[in-house]
Amino acid sequence: MNSMYPFLFLSFFMFVIGLGVMIARKNIIAMLLGIELILNASALNFVTYTRFVNQNLDGHIMSLFIIIIAAAEAAVGLAIVIRFFQVRESIHIDDAAQLQA
Amino acid sequence: MDYTITTVAWIVLLPFFAFVINAFIVKKVPNVAVGISCAAIFGSFLLSGRIFFDFVFGKYSADYHVHKVFNWFDLNGGGQEFVMKMGIYIDNMTAMMLFMVTGVAFLIHIFSTYYMKEDTRYGRFFVYMSLFTSAMLGLVLSDNLISFFIFWELMGFCSYSLIGFYYEKEDAGNANIKAFMTTRIGDVFFLLGILAIYFQVGSFTFVDIYAAISSGMFTDATVTIFGFGLPLALIASLAIFMGTIGKSAQFPLQVWLPDAMMGPTPCSALIHAATMVAAGVYLSLRMFPLYEIHPFMLPFIATIGGITALGAATIALVQTDFKAVLAYSTISQLGYMVLGVGVGAYNAAFMHLITHAIFKACLFLAAGSVIHSLHDHHTHQHVQEMPRMGGLKNKMKFTWFAMWCCTFAIAGVPFFSGFVSKDRILGDALVMAMHNPYYWFPATLGFIGALLTAFYMCRMMFLAFHGEPRDKDLYDHIHEEKFSWNRNLPLLILALFTLGVWFSGSLTGQKLVKVASDKVEWFDTLIVKPKTENFKNYQKQNWGPVDIKSTISFPVSKYDSNHGLSEEEAHHVHSVHSIGAIASIIIAFSGIFIAFMMYIRKSWNPGWWVNTFSTWYRALQNKYYFDDMYIKGIIQKGLIPVNNFLAWVDMGIYDKYAIDGWEKVNRCAFTVSKWFDNIFVDTIAVDGTGASVRAFNVILRTFQSGKIQFYIIMIILVLSSYIWSLA
Amino acid sequence: MFDSVLFLLSAILIVVGSLGVLFIKENIMHACVALLTALFGVAGAYAVLGADFLAATQLVVYVGGVVILMLFAVMLTGGGAANENKFGIEKIPAMGNVKTYIIAGVNVLVISLVVIKIMANVMQDYKAVALPAYESTVEKLGTLLVTDHVLAFEVSSILLLGALVGAAVIARPIGSTK
Repeated sequence: MNSMYPFLFLSFFMFVIGLGVMIARKNIIAMLLGIELILNASALNFVTYTRFVNQNLDGHIMSLFIIIIAAAEAAVGLAIVIRFFQVRESIHIDDAAQLQA
Repeated sequence: MDYTITTVAWIVLLPFFAFVINAFIVKKVPNVAVGISCAAIFGSFLLSGRIFFDFVFGKYSADYHVHKVFNWFDLNGGGQEFVMKMGIYIDNMTAMMLFMVTGVAFLIHIFSTYYMKEDTRYGRFFVYMSLFTSAMLGLVLSDNLISFFIFWELMGFCSYSLIGFYYEKEDAGNANIKAFMTTRIGDVFFLLGILAIYFQVGSFTFVDIYAAISSGMFTDATVTIFGFGLPLALIASLAIFMGTIGKSAQFPLQVWLPDAMMGPTPCSALIHAATMVAAGVYLSLRMFPLYEIHPFMLPFIATIGGITALGAATIALVQTDFKAVLAYSTISQLGYMVLGVGVGAYNAAFMHLITHAIFKACLFLAAGSVIHSLHDHHTHQHVQEMPRMGGLKNKMKFTWFAMWCCTFAIAGVPFFSGFVSKDRILGDALVMAMHNPYYWFPATLGFIGALLTAFYMCRMMFLAFHGEPRDKDLYDHIHEEKFSWNRNLPLLILALFTLGVWFSGSLTGQKLVKVASDKVEWFDTLIVKPKTENFKNYQKQNWGPVDIKSTISFPVSKYDSNHGLSEEEAHHVHSVHSIGAIASIIIAFSGIFIAFMMYIRKSWNPGWWVNTFSTWYRALQNKYYFDDMYIKGIIQKGLIPVNNFLAWVDMGIYDKYAIDGWEKVNRCAFTVSKWFDNIFVDTIAVDGTGASVRAFNVILRTFQSGKIQFYIIMIILVLSSYIWSLA
Repeated sequence: MFDSVLFLLSAILIVVGSLGVLFIKENIMHACVALLTALFGVAGAYAVLGADFLAATQLVVYVGGVVILMLFAVMLTGGGAANENKFGIEKIPAMGNVKTYIIAGVNVLVISLVVIKIMANVMQDYKAVALPAYESTVEKLGTLLVTDHVLAFEVSSILLLGALVGAAVIARPIGSTK
């Protein structure tokens, strides 16, 4: 593969789908899935530019941290979801329209 | 003698404490109250006598005086100095006044125990008398105009109470209101005069005023009234003299004094002959240096005095009421005193004040003795009408004797006190007339008044005591007068002091051998005009109980037989005085002779005079229509329309337009403000705030929905816009 | 050729997985599986791009960690049974009406314009360079992580620790204060 455009389009596609998931899905866990897609899209973008533009592995490092942060985010987010479910008996995003329980 | 406030003030405080004690105990034990009053006034008499003898026999100096002050209250602060000082000022005049007032008042108290014995309010009379005497003594001792004014008003109140003593009688009630209101007119001006002096001098004290006068503070001072710069000396003098006019019943405020005879006769003796009306003249004498400043003032005073002297004497001609004659003679004699002030006869005016106080007190007491005896068994009233008297000489010898002494005194018969004093006033008036032709007018009025005085007093005596009894029934019921200590003794003591020798001679012993010469009278020596330059130095001294004598030495004055005039002038004055004296003697005897011819010999018929001058007769009987003029003219034509107009202004304009209009304005303002409140505050501000919040809420709620996904959309939108604009 | 095949497979996996995440609504478990598919595709793309260590990490962390975590969450929250709006707040006007669609349309327009603008620049500026040969990146990454990026590396460890503790505290059952 000599061109970076397929990767960029792939990344863009993932990003837009992730956004779509964030916007359209009412399930909080599904929205977390969308966040994972968006993070992966950006990570893929970093790796693509490392490969085709500056070639010094900084993109890899950045992707690595994105994975770390995604793991942390998934842990905390899912904990919040579980907590929310304990309080509200629901994981519908519109049930989380109020700060107060 | 040691003069301090605490020793001298007992003269005032003894009667005052008697008043306070009596006011509480008079209902229970009236006899004790009477005893306390008499004892208190006797104590004052003794203290005054001590002062009198010290001043007259011990010091014997025209300039000697005692001035003690204490701070009444102190309002110093913020650079403003206002220290109200009270104190006593005793000079020869004060000492004599104290002795006269306490002596006369004591004798009147004694007489009152006889006269008021049967009265239902026997004790209360003495309560008022004590307060009155205390006020008069306080006035005499005052060293400043404020305490002078306080006691002055206190006497006004006491005279109000005593004139209306028989308040069951409507006449008495009206008379005391009249007396109070009439003197009030003068008092208002007096107060204004006090303030006018204060704003120039900065002090109320007499010595400060004298010092200010001697330093020329009043010479060019003007006071601006309605834009006219008038001389302050004239305005202040006139205002203070208005006080004298009101209190001493001078023209044109003389109307209250005859009506004041409604009170018990002893109170007439005390208040309206000896002391209270004398207070006005006393004030004039105290403020004499002020009167001297403006050349208009003394002729004005002399004119007022002359008019009063003659006018009251003419009215007295036709009175049939025993006391009314005495009342008008009082006004007339007060006129002489004021005339004396006006012509600069300082010591003559004061002498007449003393002599008049004594013989008029005696006359009133004698009149009380007569009236008390004449008891109508049909109406159960005392008789005061002279037409029902006559021949009383046979029934009351002592009264008759005392009254003739006083009549001779007031008529100006030689060797009686009235001759000495009145002759000097008229003589000085003549001297003044020689220098200033204007003074012929008051002097002439005074001489004609002297003639009439002799006539009407003798007429009264002849009608009452001589001739045949005209009311036989009344005459028969009179008890034969037996000597009693409280009825006759005061009369005889007072009659004793109507002799001229007490006043014209040298009591003091220094000049005893020269009694025959009128040049060595002790009175002339001791009573001189205040030498204002003597007071110059203690305008600014430290206040406090300072003995004036210790700071400035007063040499025993060397009597100047020439009144400070040159030998030639003194001779001229002496000759004028001799002419005046001869004229007075002639006038007095001719007045007595006319009365004798009319009422004893009945050679001349008084009815002819009445018929011939019927218009004048009616005018005199109606007191020159002064009462009518005041009531119909000033009160009905002037004051009542003004009153009605003011009432109309108050009710028709003020109430109707101002008060009601203000209510309308308020209501209108209320409506407007209510409308404003409803529309602007409530609807627009309060509800509008809520509505605007709600309106914005509708908009903002769209964004602040709590919907995370909507937030995501907005975040994307905004971030995309940034990137679009930055990329 | 191998690269092209691998890329094609990866792209298919990514597209299918992403679309699956977006459109599978009946069962959230299936959506998780679709995400798993997409993450596999990303790992394949990393392999094509020569990031061997990252591809392995992607597989280990995501497939072995995150997705399993998701599955646990789905099981703890009842999965699709809780997929409806219990409190009926859907009727508030922010979503599902004309206004929302207008906003969504504007959104799409703006994003498209932004993307076109950025991409146009990128495509203009891009000049083909000689691609380096594939070589192992593990040693280089390890050197970089403990030299140049050591601060970020340490901070991320603290972050993970905090996330671990925070997740444990947050997910604690109601009423257990210990």
